[in-house]
Amino acid sequence: MAIENSRIVADVVEVNEFPHLAQRYAIRGVPKTVINETVEFVGSIPESQFVEHIQRASSPSAS
Amino acid sequence: MAFLSSNDVTEIKRLFEKLSADVRLIYFTQRESPPFVPGQECETCKDTRLLLEEIAGLSDKIHLDVHDFVADGEMAREYGIDRIPTLVLSADGVKGQIRYFGMPSGYEFSVLLGSLLDASQGTSALSEETVEVLQGLDRDLHIQVFVTPT
Repeated sequence: MAIENSRIVADVVEVNEFPHLAQRYAIRGVPKTVINETVEFVGSIPESQFVEHIQRASSPSAS
Repeated sequence: MAFLSSNDVTEIKRLFEKLSADVRLIYFTQRESPPFVPGQECETCKDTRLLLEEIAGLSDKIHLDVHDFVADGEMAREYGIDRIPTLVLSADGVKGQIRYFGMPSGYEFSVLLGSLLDASQGTSALSEETVEVLQGLDRDLHIQVFVTPT
């Protein structure tokens, strides 16, 4: 996704190496995805649903 | 000790035949011998570097830049990097930023190889509809995917 737009930063984080992040983001299952600190979900989901989450995270009401 | 078996090497080389543009692996690590700053030990920093060196050795289109997180602190800040080991995938076709925090081993290793290829080709495997939404974004997006090595 980060290939497509300069506004996107895409991170993969190995949680075992950064336990403070596991705690901060309450990681109990993986993969867990957090978008802009406002939207999150666990597990692999279809692309279309991922996009819906992105739209939710980037809507003006999300902050 | 090599991380990649000869089978891995054969398979990765075959994959790398599809590389198009050059890809830069910008790797932030720290000094690999004591003394370490207490609380700042980095258990996987050295192994990650060795793994990346093996990958970079498999194609002349892949370039590895190794940076010290402390000595090159200004550069690390420019990339928004606050922890190590961290890898940034950079290529002309990548508009945003792709970063890996921690050692990309196990399943994440194949994910990394896929990202390398996508970055080099400057294309994602996403649908047209998705690309349209992404390109229309009017605010910054930070996507973090938390994983464990399996």
